[in-house]
Amino acid sequence: MQAIEKTIKLDPKFKYEVSEKPGGESVRHCFQCGKCEATCPIARFKEQYRPAQVIRAIMLGCREFALGSPTIWLCATCYSCSERCPQGVRFTDIMRVIRNMAVAEGKVNPFYKKTAEAIIQFGRTFDSPDFINEMRCDLGLPPVTSLDRQEIAKIIGELKVNRSKESLNK
Amino acid sequence: MKYVFFQGCTTPQKENAYELSMRKVAAKLGIELVTLEEQNCCGFFVEPVDHLSATIMAARDLALFDASGLNAVTPCPACYGQLTRVRNELLADKKLFDEVNSALKTVDRKFVGTSEIKHFMTVLIDEVGMEKIKASVVKPLSNLKVAPFYGCHILKPSYEVNTDNPEDPQLLDSLIALTGAKLVDYGEKKLCCGQSVGGVDEELSLNLSKTKLKSIKKAGADVMVTVCPACHMQFDLVAGAKLRDLAIPVLHYTQLLGLAQGLSPSELGLGENRVSTDAILEMIGMV
Amino acid sequence: MIENPRIGVYICHCGLNISATVDVKAVATFAQTLPDVVVSRDYKYTCSDPGQEMIKKDVKEHKLNRIIVAACSPRMHEPTYRKLMEEAGLNPYLFEMVNIREQDSWVHMQEPAKATQKAKELVSMAVARSRLLEPLEVKEVPALKSVLVIGGGIAGIQAALDLAEQDYKVCLVEKQPTIGGHMAQLDKTFPTMDCSICIFAPKMVDVSKNPNVTLLTNSEVQEVSGVAGNFHVKILKKPRFVNEKKCVGCGVCASKCPVKAPNEFDMNLGMRKAVYIPFPQGVPAVYTIDKEHCLYFTKGVCKICEKFCEAKAIDFTQKEQIVDLDVGAVVVATGFEPFDPSSLKEFQYGKFKNVVTSLDFERLISAFGPKEGKLVRPSDGKEPHRIAFIQCVGSRDERTGNIYCSNICCMSAIKQAVLIKEKHPDYEVYIFYNDIRAFGKGFEEFYQRARDLWVNFVKGIPAELVEDPDTKNLTIRAVDLVLGKMVEVDLDMVILSIGMIPPKGIQDLTRILRIPRGADGFLLEAHPKLRPVDTPTLGIFLAGACQGPKDIPASVAQAKAAASGVASLLSRGKIRTESSIAVVNEDFCSGCKVCISLCKYDAIKMNEKKGKQVATVSEVTCMGCGVCASACPTKSISLRHFTDQQILAQIRALSPELCQSSVTTEQVNIKEKT
Repeated sequence: MQAIEKTIKLDPKFKYEVSEKPGGESVRHCFQCGKCEATCPIARFKEQYRPAQVIRAIMLGCREFALGSPTIWLCATCYSCSERCPQGVRFTDIMRVIRNMAVAEGKVNPFYKKTAEAIIQFGRTFDSPDFINEMRCDLGLPPVTSLDRQEIAKIIGELKVNRSKESLNK
Repeated sequence: MKYVFFQGCTTPQKENAYELSMRKVAAKLGIELVTLEEQNCCGFFVEPVDHLSATIMAARDLALFDASGLNAVTPCPACYGQLTRVRNELLADKKLFDEVNSALKTVDRKFVGTSEIKHFMTVLIDEVGMEKIKASVVKPLSNLKVAPFYGCHILKPSYEVNTDNPEDPQLLDSLIALTGAKLVDYGEKKLCCGQSVGGVDEELSLNLSKTKLKSIKKAGADVMVTVCPACHMQFDLVAGAKLRDLAIPVLHYTQLLGLAQGLSPSELGLGENRVSTDAILEMIGMV
Repeated sequence: MIENPRIGVYICHCGLNISATVDVKAVATFAQTLPDVVVSRDYKYTCSDPGQEMIKKDVKEHKLNRIIVAACSPRMHEPTYRKLMEEAGLNPYLFEMVNIREQDSWVHMQEPAKATQKAKELVSMAVARSRLLEPLEVKEVPALKSVLVIGGGIAGIQAALDLAEQDYKVCLVEKQPTIGGHMAQLDKTFPTMDCSICIFAPKMVDVSKNPNVTLLTNSEVQEVSGVAGNFHVKILKKPRFVNEKKCVGCGVCASKCPVKAPNEFDMNLGMRKAVYIPFPQGVPAVYTIDKEHCLYFTKGVCKICEKFCEAKAIDFTQKEQIVDLDVGAVVVATGFEPFDPSSLKEFQYGKFKNVVTSLDFERLISAFGPKEGKLVRPSDGKEPHRIAFIQCVGSRDERTGNIYCSNICCMSAIKQAVLIKEKHPDYEVYIFYNDIRAFGKGFEEFYQRARDLWVNFVKGIPAELVEDPDTKNLTIRAVDLVLGKMVEVDLDMVILSIGMIPPKGIQDLTRILRIPRGADGFLLEAHPKLRPVDTPTLGIFLAGACQGPKDIPASVAQAKAAASGVASLLSRGKIRTESSIAVVNEDFCSGCKVCISLCKYDAIKMNEKKGKQVATVSEVTCMGCGVCASACPTKSISLRHFTDQQILAQIRALSPELCQSSVTTEQVNIKEKT
């Protein structure tokens, strides 16, 4: 039976999870002044996008809201909030941590998913440089530089394997 | 002044005129750009999905710079910010440094941290200097009213990329003034272009650009000048197509400087600009 | 070493502070095994009445002549136990305190076994030293019943008045041409809405008229040397080019003066003349010539003021004077400076004409301000019907480095908002805040009153200000966090509630007085809870905003507290000196003067003794730091209560191996100067 109460059950562990990831440490300094949201160009044009609310959700432990909300994919990474925050809360980095955590749970905006996958596969945002090189040749530019995309896959794989080995050893 | 040239992805894919004009201006000012083979994406658009993958991608590029023995220069502020940030992080965190290097070792690469990454604008200001740039100007563009647009990543976060004061940036303004053009201040100077949300919410991204363009129009500028290929793309390609009645010509700074240095519009790739630059070329007598 | 040492050792539990980590019983048992230890106990709270009684009883019963207490830091209770020694009939310098709390149990909480071992070692070191302690004479020196008060704001004036009432001679030094400080700049004071200058001017006049007070305005303290009871002060009296004794304050000079200059008292929002008095109620009511703007000083012409002055008070030849003064104590009341928000470019203070600071606003609405109290906005003199306050500007901010809260801004904004609404109920007034701190007496009621008057409180700090280039109106975009929406408000005027910062020149002051500053840049009190107006230096007190941002009642309270502190110190006319001072063996002294070059208290002088030049230490000025004793190449100087023998005995008790070799110990038997 669906809950009739609309209250949010808080998960106090969530904030520690976020702060333990690189980039998430500063979340605890927030003292709710609202400057980040007041600065945010996205919040200005999109009512649902609320940086101050996201930080609050992390600190109080509203896990589902923080990771499941589609609006976390609207951040433009312009860094205005981190720049203006009087307490040094690095919101843009925290947003990246939240996004990574959402991806780990299978919740990711399709555009971001597609783009990241392509980059990891091709080593850059485009696959074959032929069409690009044609354009460049017309302009008198040299072709784009070479790239062994296997190398990229290899080093990413290495890093991840070593990481998981380490966490098993702990 | 010799640098390895880090292309990034946006410039070769969509903004080749930026690279073209940058190479021409560099040649005029005695900056040598060395080709860097094997460069990969800096990882900026991988960060939102997986920070670790993005970090090692950036680290690989940094290792390439180190191996070349030179500092690197890039036209893209997002790459500049990403690579600077990763470099700082690796140099500060010994554990991460070792982890990353042990993965890089498997492909015979090594990150040391000796090479720095610079944006072309910072090279102009710090290495070339205002005097030399001014001296290279042969055709002052005094008829042009220019609205400068810095974009976000060249200025922020100031604790990583300490180029200028994000609340009151002046460096691009000074660089534009050197060309003889008139600077136009507009209310929404610091507003983000919205390019990076375009893939997620097109209307939102256009609303940001629209607001900016309205403000520039109100201030009476003839042309906009950018230092970021993504910002240029947003106002030239995207706005050019979807906000036709508001779009105005957008030049890369290197195109503006090139024109002032006496280079021809075709040499600077002005033909690639989607919003026609004919009107402003007429204003400066270069049709 | 005198007689047979009979040592009593007391290991304190300090509740659980020590005993939770250190096995106090084991330490007491261990101490009992040491030679010359007659009594060894552990006790829960040794500093308490019953604890002290126990020690006194032991002294009597067991004929103890040395006491060791192993407990907290000597900085906490050494004075307590020294007093106990006197009560028990023993010389206070036969007491030794061992710190097994701050230096043991508190820092080794994770390693109780090691901590216990460390306590045992520290106690055995203390026992070794205790055997060699000698009784020292407790001396008193005459203390002057006079005080230097630095700073003529509300705190300085109150301290001066309180001290003058008790017949202390007070010298009140103020760097501006008149006393008054920032309180004189305020229009009204919260929460009572008293007119600031109306309640303040009587105090200003009182202090100037009091026969026990010497007012030195336009003056700055240059040097302070000496010690509590006897400070030697040098004050620089800057020339005002007007003879204070002749000037009657008629103001004819100013009315004739052709030069206008920005009026600093009015926050540069209005003008004054080159010959001026900063504000009409200034004390002393004497004019001053501003050298930077006066035509005579800049161009060698004019002198019209001299021509018209009937009292013949103008004196262009006036020179700076050095005033030498000896005082018993110093009260520092140098106040604060307002934060300049020009560095926060998002608010465009200085560029957008209708953005002003809270202090600017005080002058704008003041009856004797540049607009004579009429509320108009700077850009066009029109009435601002829509006004907003932005709180926490410059304070609570990592970006400016002032991470503290400036205490008064919440109430100041509410006060200003209430003032506006009472006069103009039709105006819309907004306060954009982070928190509303209405902590003091009457403050919460005042906050209620503001809401009664329809002041809009918005929980959300604006990020930046936007100006309409034609109307010069301002727009604020902020998030109201309760509403959960971004709101936009068009305004005629914006007031930035700026914080307090330490005044320029505070570093010079800390150097001159040798007192420390805290991490926030304000002057540091001796103890944040129990000694808020003392400094670590005996005889120097703090009062008011110089110790940290605070409002008028807190400044007055501190001023009264500082005055009381001064009186407690000086009222007997004598002060106990430090007995643990350096003493020179004149037979060994070679007259090399290395000690003099190192002594930072100027306590050592050369004297002719037994046909040669030898160093002599002043008992009054020596602070017992020991630098001379350690530097003396012939080992002629020893530090009483910290002789080489005593220290080496401690080291040997800890590690016998360390004391095998070269250092001479037994042979050095310093004969003390009688």
